[in-house]
Amino acid sequence: MEKAASESQVAEFVRAAREKKAPFEIVAGGTLRAVGKPLANLPLLDVSGLSGIIKYEPEELIVTAAPATPLTEIAAVLGEKNQRLGFDPADWSQVLASNGVATLGGAASADASGSGRLRHGGARDSLLAFRAVNGLGETFRGGAKVVKNVTGFDLPKLVCGAHGTLCVLTEMTFRVYPRPQLAVTLCLSDVTPDTGFAALRKIAHSALEPAGLAYLPSSMSGSMMPDVGQGAALIKLEGAAKPLEEKLAMAHGLLGNAASRIDSDPFVAIGSGDQFADLPGDIWRVMIAPSDAPRVARELNAQYWLGDWAGGLLWLAAPPSDAARIRAIAAAAKGQAMLLRASAESRVLYGLYAPQPEALAGVSRAVKAAFDPLFLFNPGRL
Amino acid sequence: MLLPPTDSKIVARRAEIVSALQAIVPDGVVADKSGLATFDSDALSAYHQTPLVCVLPSTREQVSAILKYSAAEGIPIVPRGSGTSLSGGALPREDGILIGMGRMKRIIEIDYENACVVVEPGVTNLNITKAVEANGFYYAPDPSSQVACSIGGNVAENSGGLHCLKYGLTTNNLLGVTMVLPGGEIVTLGGKSGAQGGLDIMGLVTGSEGLLGVVVEVTVKILRKPPVTRTLMASFDTVSAAGACVAAVIADGVVPAAMEFMDGRAAEAIESYNQPGYPKGAEAILIIDADGVEADVSHAISRVTAIVAECGGKTVEATDEKQRARIWSGRKAAFAAMGKLAPDMICMDGTIPRHALPQVLDEMAKLSEKYQLGFCNVFHAGDGNLHPLIIFDIMKPGEFERAEEFGADILRLCVKVGGVLSGEHGVGVEKRDLMTDMFTPEELALQGRVKCAFDVGGLFNPGKVFPMLSACVEQGHIHVHGAQLPHPHLPRY
Ligand SMILES: Cc1cc2nc3c(=O)[nH]c(=O)nc-3n(C[C@H](O)[C@H](O)[C@H](O)COP(=O)(O)OP(=O)(O)OC[C@H]3O[C@@H](n4cnc5c(N)ncnc54)[C@H](O)[C@@H]3O)c2cc1C
Ligand SMILES: Cc1cc2nc3c(=O)[nH]c(=O)nc-3n(C[C@H](O)[C@H](O)[C@H](O)COP(=O)(O)OP(=O)(O)OC[C@H]3O[C@@H](n4cnc5c(N)ncnc54)[C@H](O)[C@@H]3O)c2cc1C
Repeated sequence: MEKAASESQVAEFVRAAREKKAPFEIVAGGTLRAVGKPLANLPLLDVSGLSGIIKYEPEELIVTAAPATPLTEIAAVLGEKNQRLGFDPADWSQVLASNGVATLGGAASADASGSGRLRHGGARDSLLAFRAVNGLGETFRGGAKVVKNVTGFDLPKLVCGAHGTLCVLTEMTFRVYPRPQLAVTLCLSDVTPDTGFAALRKIAHSALEPAGLAYLPSSMSGSMMPDVGQGAALIKLEGAAKPLEEKLAMAHGLLGNAASRIDSDPFVAIGSGDQFADLPGDIWRVMIAPSDAPRVARELNAQYWLGDWAGGLLWLAAPPSDAARIRAIAAAAKGQAMLLRASAESRVLYGLYAPQPEALAGVSRAVKAAFDPLFLFNPGRL
Repeated sequence: MLLPPTDSKIVARRAEIVSALQAIVPDGVVADKSGLATFDSDALSAYHQTPLVCVLPSTREQVSAILKYSAAEGIPIVPRGSGTSLSGGALPREDGILIGMGRMKRIIEIDYENACVVVEPGVTNLNITKAVEANGFYYAPDPSSQVACSIGGNVAENSGGLHCLKYGLTTNNLLGVTMVLPGGEIVTLGGKSGAQGGLDIMGLVTGSEGLLGVVVEVTVKILRKPPVTRTLMASFDTVSAAGACVAAVIADGVVPAAMEFMDGRAAEAIESYNQPGYPKGAEAILIIDADGVEADVSHAISRVTAIVAECGGKTVEATDEKQRARIWSGRKAAFAAMGKLAPDMICMDGTIPRHALPQVLDEMAKLSEKYQLGFCNVFHAGDGNLHPLIIFDIMKPGEFERAEEFGADILRLCVKVGGVLSGEHGVGVEKRDLMTDMFTPEELALQGRVKCAFDVGGLFNPGKVFPMLSACVEQGHIHVHGAQLPHPHLPRY
């Protein structure tokens, strides 16, 4: 394994790999290595040395950091100024049974957002600019360190969710957001998926700007909350003290005064998938139109599942033999089923996502080649 | 301005191309001279060029058939929405087919259950809001051209508006896009789930200025109208105090729905134009909207009022809807008001980091002296997007050229302080040759390869965005004369 701790070292490594036409795997914290198609025995480029906050400008609402900066470090530094990242990255190392350190670049490369994605969108919505090395060994910039920009192609969108297949990131600039002083979670107990998700959508489509909207069936809620009957709809609201009281009153109005306040914040566990960590089988994330959630959940028919993003995201655990069925259900609902955790054989067979229609797959391949013509970076992972 | 040379062989085949298009869209081909003349420029009226032929498809299948034909025959394509681009993105070509999306203006589906609307690309921005407002919803990005500009054009330009600091640009409000690739294949990116299952091609296509394909369907998010909106006007004795106030508001954690800046010259011109009640003698004015639930809004308003005072400014709050409208009417009349000061003007569109504002304003004043031309500044202060207006008189020899140079220097200045050439109007042909000031040759080459990933033949909107050298196109003037704005009925802010 080689280490690169500066942009020039990365460029040097890539140029050498290019000479040898030798693909390699990029590793930062290493928590996501078992995600996507396995990369058989490729040499590793360890970029964990590209770490640390480079410039934090709270009054500009931006932070620039090296990609392997741990998420915990970013959160702590932004927290001192009552700010936070917009895409709510959380730590998936438990569900992936990894003891790595979750990093900023890794989370953005995986487009990894927790429940708070509802509020300010995903990593793609807050990555403003980056520096990177392309497959020719050239350093380049994408985007710019300002919040509004239509000058050339919007490359920051592309690197989010690319799983390191386009370039080696060396610097990233994110828009940050004020962190509300307080947060409260309401729980609507003993509701069916139909009733629960309908309540969540009501809140989603209000002016309450919720920070989390999840439904947990009884099989999942047990460990976190006392008796919630058939299932619980959970609603997280944020704000300073007085606005929060007003929002809570409005929420109670919308929910017919049936919800009660709970003391803990269940959304950390929901976003990080911790509840699935000890479950056997494969772990899936199925993204669909929120109003389809109750129907799709019924069709998926999993014992262990939950709905986040007001129904736009279903998590489930399922036996490996269910893979084709799950993909078919997602496709019929015009959604996407991401195979997050599975055996290497399943990942070879099913990939991270279902294969794309040929025309789109062709364009995606060609875009990848525009960055990395020799397919040196994490080849085949996505 | 140099554009790729006209291919005279294509021009010579005009009759044959017209009839091929008529076979695809029998009732939608414009080939007569006077008909084509109406398409000869977008809102960057300095540049004009009559297209070879214009075709107005009504279905995505027709779009696909047109693109299969043009790809097979090697004919350039220029997509066009409503033609309100301020950067010449929709400028036609003498040897190219202009594909106008104006007939595809159906609202396909309003889905309140998922808070989204599915539309064809020719639907105007405002018509989306109009379709849902009775139910208390709206579409957030609000370019001032919203009564006219199309959602397809918004996707192509990643358009913004007064409210994008809080609600984001077009790209942050999309769930899905269906497009026809230059080879005619139809691809669907995202959808009601927003998920793409691979690279974020939708994000790449948004803001790509019609270089990658034709957008034929768009799914946008709609939001619940905020229950309360309040408006403050703050005035300052110095520009730097106003700049410091903007920074302090943002640093305080308040996210205003809009925060607009006008310098003293703009304020004075506006006050004498439509008397919105701007204080005399102020060197800078901010207009700030806060929206949301009542308590959030009162909190924001009280914080902003306190910060303005700390920065040495004075605030006036609009007491009712009428006064709110009056305060905003001034900002919205900025272009027209400046038009009264001089016969001609050009509007720039750079973005800078907010902290660079005092420096940039300073250097702009120096440039104004150097070029001996007046200017004023209106500015989406919340997100750092400058719209300097340069005023001049086309009848005075040399003034137009000086104005263009002045404008280019302002954009170079934006880049120098870490900003960009365009915040929301796009590069088009207008800023194309400044791209080398912002990007390295390697960066431009990479973006060029990305373009080729979609458009192998280089037929899509050639000559736009990326610098290149070749023959000249018929060229006019990059300006607005005697208040004869293209799209004069549209508000400009
Ligand atoms: C598909 C998926 C979905 C996820 N969803 C969520 C979620 O919803 N919520 C949540 O909280 N967490 C989520 N996570 C987990 C979270 O992203 C990780 O816990 C952590 O942030 C990853 O950091 P890492 O450094 O360990 O990643 P690594 O495993 O080291 O890297 C992650 C990926 O990024 C690439 N990469 C790393 N550094 C660079 C670089 N400098 N340049 C280019 N590529 C690089 C790697 O090659 C790899 O493909 C998700 C993870 C995956 C894989
Ligand atoms: C008075 C005035 C005020 C304005 N105010 C604002 C403002 O506040 N904020 C702002 O952001 N912009 C503003 N603009 C600029 C302009 O309105 C926007 O850029 C708008 O999005 C352009 O939309 P259009 O339909 O007119 O597109 P056109 O001008 O027709 O085309 C613009 C570009 O989009 C491409 N295109 C159009 N339709 C498609 C399609 N279906 N598929 C692929 N490519 C397509 C064209 O090829 C071209 O490159 C203003 C313009 C005017 C004239």
